[in-house]
Amino acid sequence: MSPQPQAAVGAPLSRVDGRLKVTGKALYAAEHDVDGAVHAVIVDAGIGRGRITGIDTRSAETHPGVLKVIHHRNAPKLPYRDNSGSNNPEGRRLRVFQDDRVRFHGQPVAVVVATTLEAAQHGASLVKVRYDAEQPSTDLTKAEPDRPTNYARGDAEAALRSATVRLDLTYRTARNHHNPMEPHATIARWDGGKLTVWDKTQWVVGTQTELAAVFGLETDAVRVISPFVGGGFGTSLRCWPHVVVAALAARETKRPVKLVLSRKQMYLGTGFRPSYEYRLRLGSDRRGRLSAAVHDLDAETSSYEKFTESILAAGQMLYSMPNVSQAYRTVPLDLPTPLYMRGPGFQTASFVIESAMDELAHKLGVDPIELRRRNEPNEDESSGLPFSTRRLRECYTVGAREFGWHRRAPRPRSTREGDWLIGRGMAAGVYDTARMPAQARARLDADGTALVEAAATDMGPGTYTSQTQVAADALGLTVRSVTFRLGDSLYPPTPPHGGSMTMASVGSATLDACNNVRRQAINMAVEDRESPLYGVAADDVVVRGGRLHVKNDPTRGETYRRLLARNDRTHLEADGSFAPPSGPERHSFYGYNATFAEVAVDATLGLVRVRRVLGVYDAGRIISPKLADSQALGGMVGGIGTALLERTVTDHRDGRIVNANLADYLVPVNADVPDLKAIYLDGEDREADPLGVKGLGELVMIGVAPAIANAVFNATGRRVRELPITAEALL
Amino acid sequence: MHPFTYTRVSDTGEAVNAGHRGGRYIAGGTTLVDLMRETVEHPESLVDISGLPLREVTVTERGGLRIGALVTMAEAAAHPKVRTLYPVISEALELSASAQLRNMATVGGNIMQRTRCTYFRDVTAACNKREPGSGCAALHGFNRSHAILGTSESCVATHPSDAAVAFAALEAQVHLLGPGGGRRIPFADFLLRPGNTPDREQALRRGELITAVEIPALPRPLKSGYLKVRDRQSYEFALTSAAVALHLRGGLIREAKVAVGGVGTVPWKLPAVEQHLLGERPSESLWEAAAAKATAGTRPLEHNRFKVELLRRTVERQLRIVGGTK
Repeated sequence: MSPQPQAAVGAPLSRVDGRLKVTGKALYAAEHDVDGAVHAVIVDAGIGRGRITGIDTRSAETHPGVLKVIHHRNAPKLPYRDNSGSNNPEGRRLRVFQDDRVRFHGQPVAVVVATTLEAAQHGASLVKVRYDAEQPSTDLTKAEPDRPTNYARGDAEAALRSATVRLDLTYRTARNHHNPMEPHATIARWDGGKLTVWDKTQWVVGTQTELAAVFGLETDAVRVISPFVGGGFGTSLRCWPHVVVAALAARETKRPVKLVLSRKQMYLGTGFRPSYEYRLRLGSDRRGRLSAAVHDLDAETSSYEKFTESILAAGQMLYSMPNVSQAYRTVPLDLPTPLYMRGPGFQTASFVIESAMDELAHKLGVDPIELRRRNEPNEDESSGLPFSTRRLRECYTVGAREFGWHRRAPRPRSTREGDWLIGRGMAAGVYDTARMPAQARARLDADGTALVEAAATDMGPGTYTSQTQVAADALGLTVRSVTFRLGDSLYPPTPPHGGSMTMASVGSATLDACNNVRRQAINMAVEDRESPLYGVAADDVVVRGGRLHVKNDPTRGETYRRLLARNDRTHLEADGSFAPPSGPERHSFYGYNATFAEVAVDATLGLVRVRRVLGVYDAGRIISPKLADSQALGGMVGGIGTALLERTVTDHRDGRIVNANLADYLVPVNADVPDLKAIYLDGEDREADPLGVKGLGELVMIGVAPAIANAVFNATGRRVRELPITAEALL
Repeated sequence: MHPFTYTRVSDTGEAVNAGHRGGRYIAGGTTLVDLMRETVEHPESLVDISGLPLREVTVTERGGLRIGALVTMAEAAAHPKVRTLYPVISEALELSASAQLRNMATVGGNIMQRTRCTYFRDVTAACNKREPGSGCAALHGFNRSHAILGTSESCVATHPSDAAVAFAALEAQVHLLGPGGGRRIPFADFLLRPGNTPDREQALRRGELITAVEIPALPRPLKSGYLKVRDRQSYEFALTSAAVALHLRGGLIREAKVAVGGVGTVPWKLPAVEQHLLGERPSESLWEAAAAKATAGTRPLEHNRFKVELLRRTVERQLRIVGGTK
């Protein structure tokens, strides 16, 4: 078929669902009006490890409005079939109310169901649980790690010993929680043996299969609905125990049950970015050509599941060097299981590697960008594959120019404005271009409007809008004529809404479905004697504004509406799909960035204030520039949080999280968000997917924290190897 | 949240009677409701005093300022008299909480607000303030935000108010109305150090109601200001803070009022720093020498050792900002 004109893709559209959101009509998980719904509140374990020895529910049960208290002594045994999908890591998932074990502080130990939220909350506070408490182990540095995952090429230890320049650096990163605005929430309703849940999820299919596995149901017996998600950052990529609790409570009380986690509970078992202790040793020659890197890293996981993430890839492929060795050890602790958080793995690796590169540049007296250029690989040295696209050099060039890098004083602590020391730093960023199989369905109606459906999610990046743009161009319709629906497991399945793969995967399926519909219409027209397009080669027809016409003769054509009316068709419909090529990859697929930051550090009070951040992205094609900016700026804000503010604190004495609230777990507020700017290198990655996109949502956060840390060093001469960087490190 | 009764009162006598019967006063509710939700507080009866006529800011006969207990933080901060006579109060208020909270919270409630100690706010943790005799989880727990001054083995929690630091510095008086009539007490006596009874936080008698905070007249011109040091730039409690007011005549400091926040179990007045400044001529070395006296008696904990040095630097910085240098 002839390529369609691209009118919608690339246009800086506002969100198509923006009006719904600002008028409060976009329904989030807890807001669905499900007839007869009652309320459930979870009782959290008050110890960090041990056994429940007694549970007194009498005063809760007699509280007016309380319907039932469910706990391990009265809960039915649930099948908990194996389910390797649903983002369940290796291990044995937490089975709610199935035994008396407490595996982490705050684990659900009971649920109170009541006719009102207030009664359920009060009822939960009346449940008295007795424990046989054991000493929990929650300190990453004081526990026994699992056997490592290893990678090696060359002989890194030997190369390190013979290197002219050596660095031996240990970095620590704090545990971070996702902290989306919308809390986790589930409404569950049983209709006979069928379960419907309205859930905050980044993957309706994952929640569907997990609930089916837990309750021993056919997948089709579970329907998951999630049209809007108020921020996710990864926390909703897995069906967590509270979703099971809601469904269980609904089954036990024979009523629809609504369960909303409190803000505090958002820290107690819905995933987090694990804390790392990461030792990196680098060897180079005097000019900074790297010869070896040895990575030794320990990361938190739970006692019952082994969570791992893509922490190793960047160390294998970002810079050219013959010798690399890596040992990645998870450390089982009495904590809930971590989960992917924006830029998983790469974000942490980037902080370490890019801080270390800055240290090397300083040690050698080489400009940090020049050092990176000297180590730019020609191919992916972990696989020997060519890069699909890698335009990191251009990112450096454009970024340096736009940021005014030449004005940076290389010598630390040399720029001062009153009480403030000014510093500038940069970092490179890389993130995997992930794609997974996805499907979509498109229908063109006789009135010339179209409906496209996929079981996808929009947690904020603008899936509704960007998919509408892709569909509009593929169908030759205006954006207003296209409706995109998502967030229902009845729709064609899609992969998790995470890892920045939605645009590439779902977008390509949408494109395919819409191309198929357009093809049907064109074929119908060129075979229809009454059509002005009769006899024209199908390849010569394009559609624009709902009108099919000969590519080189716009006067010859007709509208979808006329075509369908004349042929007595109420609609045309087609499925579409996308799958990455099977078999071994022929290219190495990554998105890249160069991130620049300018900070001011109060020379005496130690306070760091970010003044500006610039990101330059090699992210392939940008479908929706305005929403891309929202993504990029949000990612930078997240990076500022990681660099300067965010850390979840555990009291190792009993395993409790000390700062499980938004007053004590600090995220940036508006006053902390300075001048932010995003630049996208114009281009596309045709090897990656039919749309030519590489994914953006993760990439934009990666590189921000090390750029800030490097700027802090440039400002103060103080190298802080622990995140977040707070006043006490700089006094 | 535990069940409770709720009554609105329309005059102070009615309020005090209800308070004497055990009712808890509620105005803006920005602290109390929050703590009720966490089940840290579980009053059986709430007495809503927000309708009482305690919303005036007036200049006293001697030229001081009387701020009604129900004046909101936002109103107090923006009041022209507050802003011109005691900018330190306006600044302390405006650096507190968020705009939404400042629109609801009152001056009386602000000085009554309870600590942000996370163990106090977590009903599953040991806390002598919440549950006398249960122990202090913060003492050997995560205590970065905790106090280094005025602590005891029973409690190391800070008083969270910024405005109270300004009031302490300016030697305000708290006007109270009780069943037996009215009285006023110096701010320094109003908030209590924890000692062995950290659950007792104010020198209030049963049923007593705060009606106003009065700032005494101070010699003019008075330069004053509030510095708040914190990790993020807004909406966070202080790591350290300093309220400073200085009166200079003939190039010499004739009056000096200094108190600090974020470091004490109560807003911490620094008489030794004030004494050091009196009669002296502003200079960098004076600020440095005076600030060195700020940290006397500090008792840091495991995670807040940095506060000792930060406190010294905060005081020095704020003396310089308010006093300038010649």
